[in-house]
Amino acid sequence: MAEYTLLTVLAIIVVVLLDLVVVRTRLLTTLGFWLALAIVWAFQIPVDGWLTRLDAAIVCYDDRHFSGVRIFFDSPIEDFGFGFAMVLATLMVWTVSARRERSSVPDVGG
Amino acid sequence: MEPFHYLLVLGACLAITAPLEWGIGARVYRRPRRLALTLVVAMTPFVVWDLVAIARGHWDFAPRYTLGIDLGGVLPLEELLFFVVIPICALLTHQAVLRLGARVWPQGRLAREARDLGAVGTPTSEAQQRVPRG
Repeated sequence: MAEYTLLTVLAIIVVVLLDLVVVRTRLLTTLGFWLALAIVWAFQIPVDGWLTRLDAAIVCYDDRHFSGVRIFFDSPIEDFGFGFAMVLATLMVWTVSARRERSSVPDVGG
Repeated sequence: MEPFHYLLVLGACLAITAPLEWGIGARVYRRPRRLALTLVVAMTPFVVWDLVAIARGHWDFAPRYTLGIDLGGVLPLEELLFFVVIPICALLTHQAVLRLGARVWPQGRLAREARDLGAVGTPTSEAQQRVPRG
């Protein structure tokens, strides 16, 4: 398997395990996560496309290091896995911090 | 304009998502400490991944479309900013989804998730925020 493909699969496995088993933020079981991810992915199509489109690529991928599958505007399909892992990791850390704050600070506001 | 191509798309991402904070009331920029912590903890592994990928030749960057400021001689400044801008957009989107969901369906699933995450306060604290006392 190409290295970028392999790293993407590994990253997805790691963030999913962190969310469900290790950190137990369980964002993957929430509606809000999936709605947000759908929106982020939709915007990733033009943004990533702007970076990867082959007639004016800002980020140039070596075809030997990914699956070779390019979708939408020439974006390697792995990019969407990278995006998934980034979004989940980000929301996970934010969630941990938010829950910790809520449990340690008494809600004086009401 | 070509050297600004990468920077411009990042700016566009921030511009498009800004109303989520100041229109819909997501509180991401207004929690700077939590935001900074989130960026550092969550994005460090991805920056390392990026550096490994550059070193292994998985991808590189077109000098024509970047500013030419390469951190450590390898990482374009814009690429580092990517790992600041994109997570902010994701956080704003999530918070906005929760807030809007809680507003439309106050007893719904998104409202519960919003309260769990502090994306909205309790009904009492929200009311107190809207109506200044005294």
